[in-house]
This record gives sequence, structure tokens and C-alpha cells, in this order.
Amino acid sequence: MSTSVIDAGGHAVAPTLPDVLPEPKRRGRVMGFIYRHPTIALGGSVLGLMVLIAIFAPFLATVDPTALAPAKRTRPPSDLYWFGTDMLGRDVYSRVIYGSRVSLTVGFSVAALASILGTTLGLVAGFTRWLDAIVMRVMDGLMSIPGILLAIALMALTRASMKNVIIAIAVAEFPRVCRLVRGVVLSLREQPYVEAAIASGTRIPVIIWRHILPNTLAPLMVQATFICASAMIGEATLSFLGAGTPPIIPSWGNIMAEGRALWQVKPYIVFFPAIFLCLTVLAVNMLGDGLRDALDPRLAKRL
Amino acid sequence: MLAYFIRRVLATIPVVLMVALFVFSLLYISPGDPAAIIAGDQASPEDVERIRASLGLDRPFLVRFFEWLWHVMHGDLGTSIFTNLPVSHMIAQRIEPTVSLMTLTLILSLSVAIPMGVIAAWKHGTLIDRLVMMVAVFGYSTPVFVVGYLLAYLFALQLDWLPVQGFTSITEGLVPFLRNLILPAVALGLIYMALLARITRATMLDVLSQDYVRTAKAKGVAQKGILFVHALKNAAVPIVTIVGIGFATLIGGAVVTESVFAIPGLGRLTVDAILRRDYPVIQGVVLLFSFTYVLVNLAVDLLYTVFDPRIRY
Repeated sequence: MSTSVIDAGGHAVAPTLPDVLPEPKRRGRVMGFIYRHPTIALGGSVLGLMVLIAIFAPFLATVDPTALAPAKRTRPPSDLYWFGTDMLGRDVYSRVIYGSRVSLTVGFSVAALASILGTTLGLVAGFTRWLDAIVMRVMDGLMSIPGILLAIALMALTRASMKNVIIAIAVAEFPRVCRLVRGVVLSLREQPYVEAAIASGTRIPVIIWRHILPNTLAPLMVQATFICASAMIGEATLSFLGAGTPPIIPSWGNIMAEGRALWQVKPYIVFFPAIFLCLTVLAVNMLGDGLRDALDPRLAKRL
Repeated sequence: MLAYFIRRVLATIPVVLMVALFVFSLLYISPGDPAAIIAGDQASPEDVERIRASLGLDRPFLVRFFEWLWHVMHGDLGTSIFTNLPVSHMIAQRIEPTVSLMTLTLILSLSVAIPMGVIAAWKHGTLIDRLVMMVAVFGYSTPVFVVGYLLAYLFALQLDWLPVQGFTSITEGLVPFLRNLILPAVALGLIYMALLARITRATMLDVLSQDYVRTAKAKGVAQKGILFVHALKNAAVPIVTIVGIGFATLIGGAVVTESVFAIPGLGRLTVDAILRRDYPVIQGVVLLFSFTYVLVNLAVDLLYTVFDPRIRY
């Protein structure tokens, strides 16, 4: 309360202001955004960099990632082979660069697939009372099987392919989205404006489009980001265990799986893809944390 | 109290049935026809049909499901395709290392992560807080096997303090047991610790702003007393919830950790079973782990009433 000043007669008068107010701190739009959301900026740029690496992999890689060169196997990192070569003489650097394609494709596809599946089922459960109990019991059951085990079990049933990896991880992840969307629907249905819309005879699809989906978008985006991160770890784990992406495709998990046999003598085969994987997942998680803080201040305080 | 306990226990039955149904479907739709495999290459289609009927494989899905469930409840998980041993027998052989690993991880994680979270909340906004949160974000962004290799590389290969791989039963002495298991437990526990430290910090921040904490401070309760008696007890419910939910991460991570450190446990059994497409074994392990997960979360729910007697459903 430093703004009120008492004069000699006991009356409050306005304090004298300096003639020139200090210039408000001006930042460019970009700098301002970075200042307000440092985690989104940092996570987003690292992720963006990885996307660029994935897109321009053919130009960044020095040689064909699947080219065998048995004469040059298990070379340590050098000028010629930046990350060394593996036991078949393949260039680890080129393989790691191409591996970004697998991780990003799986991460984004699982996030999209799980969001679509989860949102659809969540909407159905939220709006159809008799289906609600059934759908939610099925989700409870699915969520009771530890995600990676469920994915392993599903992968054991099918051929190893990237499509199947995406489906297996998405099946393990989508119940979380379903629960989230159903929760939003149930709480929104009690809102006066939704009740009013129902009472005035608005059709359910219109209500969903106009009132439900816009309110689902923010938490869904945050959830999808975390699913993306966990799908990347999931793909690497499945490949590492030998139940993921087919070995012919250089994915970070596959490179690490192949480096396993030699890791005590040639640890770099495992560590280079590991660094890339951790950086990417960290970036996505930071993006998710930042998005949550920005989109849902209530949650930001709690977590 | 008793009514709540009974209701909560009964509520797990549909979940357990659902899990059993999923796991059974897995075997049901698994490729490869057991009847054709048993009959061999020379068998005529009629022979295969006869074997199928004698095995009861021609009966409807639900009949077979309940029969299978009946067997499972009697501890019969079927027979491994690869070794021809009963799956329950194979699981019993491999269960000790996994239980040891998970118990040690649980003890380690809880005793490190909860004080970490409490201190971060207490020193909110300081360097310590930031550091704890940073470690937490790194913790859940790093796959278990990467942490495992990193630890093994540093502490076993470079510094030569601990064995690189292997497992020693606790019956052969506590020191060799711990020496073998400490690296896997830390590797497996890191993500769990990250989860727990975050939730502990978040709930403690909430609780520390409550009136009764201020009152305790005003009447002169020591800082330690406030943090660990007044506040932590009231923050217990969300923390215990995450202990339960995070158990799934622990199970999945154990499978991977055992591969990295060559621990002959259930995880190794699973990985070997995947490589051999030994469906009954995969099914048995998934079922066991899932039931454990459901039971842990049931226990957590029942614990709520101990920590917070106000909870009644």
C-alpha cells in the first residue's frame, strides 16, 4: 500500500509520479513465449530437431544404414565412423539417424491412434448409460494388465512389423484416454449450458462437436503427449526384448538389442542410440509438462 | 469398516474376470493349432479332428474359458509347448529372483523417493527443489535398460565395485545377495522413484498450506515433526495410490531389468517364451503379473482407511 500518501491535513492524496514511467519490459513474441513457457520451448525445439533429423535422414546419414561391411566390424568411433560400427560392420551413426524415423513414427502414430480410439469409446461410454458400465469394466481389465506385458503378449501373437508394434502399444495405452474423455463428458453433462442444449433438443453429435470436444481438447493434448513419450520407450523396450520392430529396420531399440551381446567391450553401440532415445523422450515429456502447465493451471499447481 | 472391506474385495472380481478373459483370448487366438501339432505331419484331417475332440478344443469359447479358469484356480496354468513342463512349475522355479528384485526395489524407492519429495516440498522453489524435480523428469524419460547399462558400465565395468551380472539367492548370505541385486534395483527403481518423488512433492505442497500445519508451526512443533507426522500422514493417500499404480511400471521394468543383468527370474522366462512363441508360458506369466497388480491395488485401497479413517465408500 505504498500508493496512498497522507498530507498535512490528514487527507489522502495521490503520490507524485515520476515524469517518465520506466519503459515496460518489451520482449519479442518469440522471446516472450520462451520466457513464459521455457519447458514447451526447449522440449518443442529438441523434438523439432529430431523431426528434421528423421526427415533428412538420407542426407545426414553417411552410408546406407543396412550396408554390411564384415571387414570393418566393431570399429570404435572415429573420423570415418562417428559412432563406430556394429558387429556386422554397419555404421552406427547412420543407423541411429535412420532410427529416429521409427521412434517418431511409432510415438506420433500411437498417440494419434490411442487418442482417436479412446475419445470415441469415452464419448460412447459417457453418453450411453447402459454401455458405460460395460466399457469401463473392459477398460479396468485392460488397465490391470501392465502395459508393456500386454504389448509383449500382443506382439507374440502377430508378425513383427512396425504397424503391429503401433497397434500393440496403442491397445495398451488407449484406456487412459477413454477414462479421461468419459470423465470430462460426465462432468460436462451436468453443466447448465449442456443441459440447456439437451433440453432445447440439440442432437447429440452437435453437442459433442460444439460443447464436449472443445473442452476435451486441452487435457487430451497433454495426455497424447505423454502417450507419445511412453510409446517411444515402449517401442524401444519391445525391440530390445526381441518382440518389436523387425531387426531389418534400424530402430534405436534394435540397435541396442544388437549391441547387447558386445556391450561390455563395445559399449558405444548401446549408448549412442540410448542418448538419442532419452533426449527425444525427455523433450516430449517436457513438452507435455509445459502444455499441462499452460493449458490447465489448476493441475499445474498440484503437480 | 468391514462392509467397506467386503465391498472393495467383491469389486475386484469383475476386474479379475476381465483380465482372465483377455489372457485366455490370447491363447485362444494364438496361431498354431495344438491338435495339428500333436497329430503330426502324417495325420489325416479326420485324425486331427479326433484329437481336437479328445482335447476338448472343439467346444465353444465360453465353455473352454470357464474350464480353463477352473484349472487356473486350482493352480494349473497348462503345459509349456517348448519344455513340456507344467507352467506353474516353471513359474515356481523362477519366482524367487523376481520377488527379491521387486522387494528390494520397492524398499529402496520408497525410502529414497518419499524423503526426496518431502524435502523438495519443504524447500519449495530453491535449488534443491529444482534439482529433485530435474532428476525426476530425467528418471521417467530414461528407459530402464538404458539406466541398467549405464549403472553396470560405471559401477561394474569401470569402477569394478560390483558384479556385472547374475543373481545370488539370499540363502547364500545377505552381502552377495545385495551386491548382485543393488544395481538392478536402482535401475528398476529410478522411474518409480521419479514418479513417487513428484507426487510426494505435489501433495506435500498442498498439505503444507493447510491451516493445521500453520497451527502446528505456531504452537512450536519441530519442523521434522510437522513434515513427517502432521503433513506426510495427510499426504499419504495420493502417495500410496501412486505406489499402487506405479507397480505396473515396476512389473514391466522387471522383465527388462532381468534381461540386462542376466537374472534368472520371471522376466527372463517371459522373454525366452516370446522368442520361442511358447504361448502357455506367456499367458501364465501375464496372468500372474496382472493378478499381482490387481491385488496390490486392492491392498492400496484397503490401506486408505488406515491412513485416512474419513474414507468410506
